Amino acid sequence: MDSIWHIIITSAPQIAVAGLKYTIPIAIISFALGLILAILTALVKLSPKRGWFSIVRAIAYFYVWLFRSTPLLVQLFIVYFGLPYLKIQGIWPNGIQLDPWTAGIATFSLNTGAYCAETIRAAILSIPQGQWEAAYSIGMTKPQVLKRIILPQAARVSLPPLSNSFISLMKDTSLAASITIVEIFEVSQQIAAENYQPLVMYTEAAAFYAILCSLLSWLQGYLEKRTSRYLRPLN
Amino acid sequence: MIKLEHVNKTFGNHQALTDLNVTFNAHETTAIVGPSGSGKSTLLRSLNLLERPESGLYHFNDQVIDFSHPLASKDVLSIRRKTGMVFQDYNLFPHLSVVKNVMEGPVQVLKQQPDAARQTAMDLLDKVGLADKADAYPGQLSGGQQQRVAIARSLAMDPEFILLDEPTSALDPELEAGVLRVLLALAQENDSMIVVTHNMEFARAVADKIIFVEDGRILFDGTPSDFFTKPNQRIADFLAAMTFTTISDKAK
Repeated sequence: MDSIWHIIITSAPQIAVAGLKYTIPIAIISFALGLILAILTALVKLSPKRGWFSIVRAIAYFYVWLFRSTPLLVQLFIVYFGLPYLKIQGIWPNGIQLDPWTAGIATFSLNTGAYCAETIRAAILSIPQGQWEAAYSIGMTKPQVLKRIILPQAARVSLPPLSNSFISLMKDTSLAASITIVEIFEVSQQIAAENYQPLVMYTEAAAFYAILCSLLSWLQGYLEKRTSRYLRPLN
Repeated sequence: MIKLEHVNKTFGNHQALTDLNVTFNAHETTAIVGPSGSGKSTLLRSLNLLERPESGLYHFNDQVIDFSHPLASKDVLSIRRKTGMVFQDYNLFPHLSVVKNVMEGPVQVLKQQPDAARQTAMDLLDKVGLADKADAYPGQLSGGQQQRVAIARSLAMDPEFILLDEPTSALDPELEAGVLRVLLALAQENDSMIVVTHNMEFARAVADKIIFVEDGRILFDGTPSDFFTKPNQRIADFLAAMTFTTISDKAK
């Protein structure tokens, strides 16, 4: 039997490549898209009930409810394995067939977007009403107030919980193994099937996730320091 | 000139302003006084359209707003550019440096060039005695300094009227004096100011006109000399309630 160190050293490059090619890009792209979706959803949920916009609000509420109330793994299965059977005459006669990469990113984005929307909504609500009033009183429009005054402050407040979501997402990409994406966990499963060393292989995969998440924690600390500069007193 | 006619504002079941009629002249300082919850702040905030009365007319020079109709955002923005607001708790933008706080309106709303806006902002900070704090953040300043920055921020928009909502109520007496001196200087430059205040000494020092509000109605509208020297019974009671020395004076 090979020594444990030999197994780790020979398998590490394959796992690292899987991380670089799949895990990291999927996590970053999904989080970026999810964040955009989250900001839009939060703003819609915070907007006043008025006319046709009530429908948009209802959609936003439904979206957040749906993705927070169902398991991510089940969502992945529905999107990748289920949607091809959604055959509608005239629109999708052959069902919606997504490649694994698209299905994965779409599901991860929608899932993390639902959680982040609530984080951002809470962060916006945490900014005192006086900030809105002061900005309105100098003649700013609502988009200006949001962009210049509210969102920059809300960004600082939402950094820790958003980092939570990003770190969760990084680990949740391991579920992409189930829709045939050869990311870190899938590669470690394949190697374990060959060398019969599941303990070593899965621990090694765990270590890779831990390294990636540690980098994110460090990034969170750096961003928190940067965005909190204005809170530090003189000297 | 600002003129309100038959203005009504309710919060739920509470009638905050009742058929209110009042005129504020340009180049004058008007002090709005009255007991807590009387509607003073609601009146002032209505002038900046932070509150929307349900009915009545708002004249600003030639512009007329009818509160009984939905307001056009163009009208709202135009009124807000002409009325600078100073709040009780300053409401500076904490993530922007002092000079950026002052520049924000001119650059974002008036579309001034940043260099020109910075120069104006520095001149205004100098005027309120805080040019040396230009690069500090609001959280690094005392309350009095923050309020002086807030005054500079409202002046930067070159408003026709400056509206001040209890500008010194959150300050220690020492810091209050610094802010009041700035306001006194503005009053002496004949800026148009409307100030809600609990400080009768200040009202007496700066106001060309006093408005006494109670229960959403104006009970007095006249000169400081009439208000302080010939008060009616209600105003006399109000003024007496603010002083102790008429009741007990250990220095006597």
